[in-house]
Amino acid sequence: MIIFFVLPLLLTVVWSVFERTMFWMEPGFTLFSYENFFFSSRLENFLSSMFHSSISVICAFFIGFPIAIFIRRRVKKVAQHRVMLLFILPFMVSEIIRIFALRPILSRNGVLNSLLMDFNFIDTPISAFVFTPTGVVIGEIVSFLPFMIFSTFLALEAIPNYIFEVCADLGVNRRRMFKDILLPLAAPGLFAGSVFIFVNGIGIALIPTILGGPGSVNAGLIATQAIIALDFPLAMAVSAIMMFTLMGLLYIGHRLFNLTKLLEPIS
Amino acid sequence: MSLRDDFQPRWKLTLKWGWLSFAVFILMAPVFYTMYISFNELGFGAKYYIFTFQWYESVFSDKQLIGSLGWTMLLAIITLPIVIPFGLLSAKLYKQSQHKVGIVFVLLSPLFVPADILGSALLVFFKNLNKFFTLISEYTGIYALESWFDLGIMTAVIGLIVYTLPYVFVVIMITMARYKVEQTEAARDLGASAWRAFWEIEFPQIRAGVFSACAFVVILTFNEYTRTSLLKGGFDTFTSVLISQMLNTGMSEESYAMASIVSLVAIIIVSIILIVTAIKTEELEKITRVVKEPNK
Repeated sequence: MIIFFVLPLLLTVVWSVFERTMFWMEPGFTLFSYENFFFSSRLENFLSSMFHSSISVICAFFIGFPIAIFIRRRVKKVAQHRVMLLFILPFMVSEIIRIFALRPILSRNGVLNSLLMDFNFIDTPISAFVFTPTGVVIGEIVSFLPFMIFSTFLALEAIPNYIFEVCADLGVNRRRMFKDILLPLAAPGLFAGSVFIFVNGIGIALIPTILGGPGSVNAGLIATQAIIALDFPLAMAVSAIMMFTLMGLLYIGHRLFNLTKLLEPIS
Repeated sequence: MSLRDDFQPRWKLTLKWGWLSFAVFILMAPVFYTMYISFNELGFGAKYYIFTFQWYESVFSDKQLIGSLGWTMLLAIITLPIVIPFGLLSAKLYKQSQHKVGIVFVLLSPLFVPADILGSALLVFFKNLNKFFTLISEYTGIYALESWFDLGIMTAVIGLIVYTLPYVFVVIMITMARYKVEQTEAARDLGASAWRAFWEIEFPQIRAGVFSACAFVVILTFNEYTRTSLLKGGFDTFTSVLISQMLNTGMSEESYAMASIVSLVAIIIVSIILIVTAIKTEELEKITRVVKEPNK
């Protein structure tokens, strides 16, 4: 893993300052690739993909956190893992199939619009569900929601039952239980899930390619387009920027919440 | 056995179960839709729906699709015997190590690194390694070294190992969590070698996790697109055929059928694993209860 994972990612920083040649790159020191990234529309695209990923994180929090709490608090202990495993099933089907099949579901004449019109929620079909940033956000939620549920559940699982019992005995109301117990104790899981969705939202090219339409570009797409254009230093600069973003977020998360706590229930 | 606790109004519980089921349904909806299309004689986008098995009958005549499935299967077969022992060793190392943070960081970070970014970094890494080995072969005259890291099966397998190892590690860790290390210590005290203690005492108890990890590796290999497409070189994998059809000509009806078959097989395998694990867990819990309270 050190040779084929850590080393290539660290070397992206070195390769990103190499000089571009016609088909490859040669050793040297230039910040042209970073200039090419930060002083062009790529930065705007990158920031816009960050914004959309943030929306996906917020949506995944509101959909996934209640599910994780419900499984931890209301499902019997022996059945909790079984219910959690239901969310593994979608992962076992290719992401390509899942994302591509969203196209006809979300399209103007698709299943979603037909259902909304059949139930009289709308009069005319909505075309903003696909080939727009909304489509990207929907794709990200459908692809990554289980990660928010898994990581949050892992954090909640580490909370001993007696804490809930003491709260119930002391008459703590639900709002306070949520604010003072569940939210702080689930924070490592929420953070890990959020980082996963955020980083993959800005780094996976497939979702904007299939659901985003012509204007949707994220860091992953910039990197793959750079490789197709044989601009390897630019691809490496984007990879280095992504790596620093990820490492920075994980470092902050670990300092704040000690992310290794998440593995306690299984170690 | 009831899955619910009974200190909540029934309607609230039903509502929450409804929300959970709805979320699972939404996540699975694209898969169901693919299956639905695969049974339409008129194919995708048609106004009318005529049920047929026609596409399933003709799926095996699509040479490109079958060829790509063969390549994907080959990748899975090569990846499996490498990644599973790595996963086992990593899980054992994690359990015994004092520096858990470093191990977790190295083993689980690939989960967080987007596929395009890792794929691009590995692609450039392999191209550089190739240049390095070409230089060495020129100096030493050993030309067998020259094409070691040419894009092809080996580079694709390395990419898949990096991608699947975190999943294997987590799945094996979950099963290992129930294993009591004292059993290995007892076996060693009685004179068993480390290998024998592992093979005859520990492995039978974590076997379910190891087999689950094998199933996960095969399924993930079939589903993986980005890293493999960047690292595979000249041949086609199942997902690369699908994506080229999707983005260029539109998916053929046979591809919908094949995608449905692959999805269904994956779902069935995972469901079997879940059911077997559930039964085993329940049996273990029963034994634990009997040992703890023999008179009850």
